Amino acid sequence: MGAYIVRRVLWAILLLLVVSFLTFVIFDVLPSADPAVLRAGRNATPSLIHQIRINLGLNKPFYVQYWNYLKGVALHFDLGYSYYNTESVRSEIFSRLPATISLAVGGFVVWMLLGLPVGIVSAIRPRTILDRVMMGGSLVAISAPVYFVGLVALFVFAKGSGLVNWFSGAGSYVPVTQNPGQWFGSLILPWFTLAASFAAFYARMTRGNLIETMGEDYIRTARAKGLRESKVIAKHGLRAALTPIVTMAGMDIGLLLGGAILTETVFNIPGVGRYAYDAITNSDLPAIQGTVLFGAFFIVFANLVVDVLYAFLDPRVTYA
Amino acid sequence: MKRRIAVLGLVAGALAFVAAGCGGGGSKTGVQGASHTLQNGKSGGTLTILSVGDIDHLDPGAAYYQFTYAITYVTQRPLLAYKPNSIQPVPDLAQSMPTVSNGGRTVTVHIRKGVKFSPPVNREVTSADVKYAIERGFDAAVGNGYASAYFGVIKGAPTKIGNTVPDIEGIQTPNKYTVQFQLSEPSGIFVSALQEPLTAPVPEEYAKKYDQGTQSSYGNHEVATGPYMVQNNASGKITGYSPNKQIVLVRNPNWNPKTSWRPAYADRIVFKEGFDPSVATRQILSGQGDANGDFPPPAADLKSISSNSSQKGQLEFTPTPGSRFVALNTQKPPFNNKYVRMAVAYVLDRNAMRLTRGGAIDGKIATHFISPDFGSHGFNQAGGFSFNPFPSPNNAGDVAKAEAMLKKAGFKSGKYSGPQITQVADNQPPGSNTAQVVANSLQKIGFKVKTIPVQHSAMYTRFCGVPKNAPNICPNVGWIADFHEPQADLDANFNGKNILPANNVNWSQLNDPKINALMAKAEVELNNEKRWQEWGQIDKQVTESAAAIPWIWEDSPTLYSSKVTHASELWNGGEPDVSFMSVNK
Repeated sequence: MGAYIVRRVLWAILLLLVVSFLTFVIFDVLPSADPAVLRAGRNATPSLIHQIRINLGLNKPFYVQYWNYLKGVALHFDLGYSYYNTESVRSEIFSRLPATISLAVGGFVVWMLLGLPVGIVSAIRPRTILDRVMMGGSLVAISAPVYFVGLVALFVFAKGSGLVNWFSGAGSYVPVTQNPGQWFGSLILPWFTLAASFAAFYARMTRGNLIETMGEDYIRTARAKGLRESKVIAKHGLRAALTPIVTMAGMDIGLLLGGAILTETVFNIPGVGRYAYDAITNSDLPAIQGTVLFGAFFIVFANLVVDVLYAFLDPRVTYA
Repeated sequence: MKRRIAVLGLVAGALAFVAAGCGGGGSKTGVQGASHTLQNGKSGGTLTILSVGDIDHLDPGAAYYQFTYAITYVTQRPLLAYKPNSIQPVPDLAQSMPTVSNGGRTVTVHIRKGVKFSPPVNREVTSADVKYAIERGFDAAVGNGYASAYFGVIKGAPTKIGNTVPDIEGIQTPNKYTVQFQLSEPSGIFVSALQEPLTAPVPEEYAKKYDQGTQSSYGNHEVATGPYMVQNNASGKITGYSPNKQIVLVRNPNWNPKTSWRPAYADRIVFKEGFDPSVATRQILSGQGDANGDFPPPAADLKSISSNSSQKGQLEFTPTPGSRFVALNTQKPPFNNKYVRMAVAYVLDRNAMRLTRGGAIDGKIATHFISPDFGSHGFNQAGGFSFNPFPSPNNAGDVAKAEAMLKKAGFKSGKYSGPQITQVADNQPPGSNTAQVVANSLQKIGFKVKTIPVQHSAMYTRFCGVPKNAPNICPNVGWIADFHEPQADLDANFNGKNILPANNVNWSQLNDPKINALMAKAEVELNNEKRWQEWGQIDKQVTESAAAIPWIWEDSPTLYSSKVTHASELWNGGEPDVSFMSVNK
């Protein structure tokens, strides 16, 4: 197990290197904006642009810029400074992380609480009206873009912009340390918006897996032994059916910890995703690079955790 | 050019920047819409301004964006400034308007006594603080975008920019309250440029340590001279600014109202950032926000608000000082031929182009470059609304006249038969749609147009602004003047001397010796009336050259909540002047 984890960590580092390199290459090769010109302004002289280019290190060859960046990250965990407003990228990301964690973890809880029960009920009552209503609803939820769902939620339920003033609206987020009540209230709509499509997808996955599992021989054996149906489902059916769900959940939570761009944008939650959005619109390479690396790290880390958890969930899995 | 067009262009995908305007008449130089109550406001309370994006820089030496200016001008005091609804600069830090002598080569400004810096500096402002403020604008670590363009005429101003604050011999301080500028040649716009934030005082003894190195951090520690300051701690570190989140302004305890014409009603002003435009619009209508900062409400909301009798009074339309235009590359075929360019000017369907940005609500169709809000500052002299050298029925293009021009250019059939031409355009609406209309219009007279779609900022910084990479057509360019002097509207875009290898904004690369000579003469004309007359004539000639084809004078909408008084900055494209707004409910 130890060797396996070490090997996976090394692979993860390699993967992060590849991601950072690709981001650099994309920014360098594709026709993105010239950061020195953007920083200098439209009326700036060539002399000023030249000096700013030097100050930002943009006059150096691509590979030197990349090497300097890697050194900064590896030796000082320095993600550089924004070309746009010269703020430290690391500080910006860390100051935004609590908001992103609040959104991602809360959303995760909501979608698991909604998705799993719906999937289980649908699986044990297949082809009933209830099943069809729930699966039809989930299809709608999967199809609706997050941005659209968020705007509808704000225009219907949010204070200040909605038809009914039930929940706090966009721009109301405060850190949990500042006001726990307002923090919770401000995240209700974002949690449900974020969870909607995930919950629907998990419901359909759970239903499909559970129906398949419930047709296995060992389930029939369990029933033949006289176990109650609820016990058969909970102890034997669900355990096997949920294994792939755990994998997916790990990946998804990792993905969201890197920033839920659309949800954060529509609800104006100052998280990492919103920062990434602003960085892209401003052609701000250090900020783009920082958020991409950060997102990649969470995905890789979540993958690792899931793989390790797998062994506990499924005794057939071993680590060579 | 203050960077509203540029910066909003960057986020066009999210915003679909559809500035709106009063499609009908409206005054030429005033804010259109609701009446104003600029005096006798109610003191106290908190104003909340909602925005989509962030400011560019807090540092007055680097700030160069319309939305930023809404904050800069109430926290800093440049030598001159504007009252809302006016395009005439008036003394702010200056005691009186500058005097010009020595044949226009000496400009003397007396500054007010009793103006003090906010904590932790706390001392009175002197002329040395103005000198240092302007000098640091020539330091790349500060990175001012316009210092060379407007203040490069000061004797001793460096042409090569480094990472140090230069000592400029032409900025003299004969006493504590007098700044004297010695210019290398007369400048018709130097006095107007004294309203730029670069002239707001900066205390050298405090700022110098932050100006060291390759990147000044003074903005994170700046002190104020205006009625408000960005919230800070005892050491001066700014605590009220979280990038892309919010900016909190509080009262400057050292501000003396007797030295200022700003009423400064509100106690606290919060700029909340990061909103979706439609959500922010609804919040303003419901009173959760008090005005929009950097974005126009979406076109659908504007139409709805304009037709709602209880809401339309909350909406104001302000003309923006500039235009959008299609630039034709005059340095290579086929647009090095004036008649081919004129054919394009005739055939463009400007009405369809305007529809791509929302239609008549976005503003008037432009027929030349100096926009209507300039009024007597060049617009009227250029012929006002009646000057239109390339008319067409309903502004939809005139194929017959275009073909006649092509015949003059040597295309006997009246159709262009040369090689395919290229345009570099925005890769998302509304700019991409505008480019499509341009391509469709040109196809009517035989052109085959290849469109290369790129990000808006890349279009400027990698293609249209770099002559060696410049395509035949740049369909998505535009310009907003820094102040209401026609030189600020025309010179950078059309003077041959301004063609640069990079960051070039003379996108059509027009280098007409006759126009260049007229500009050189007008630049040094000190008499306002004569100067505006000359620039009006230059506007006509540039338009007739068809090097670029203007197609819209945009109006900018500002939406206010029902609980505040209105005060839009006419000089600054309609940004709310928060020092004149008051919370009434």
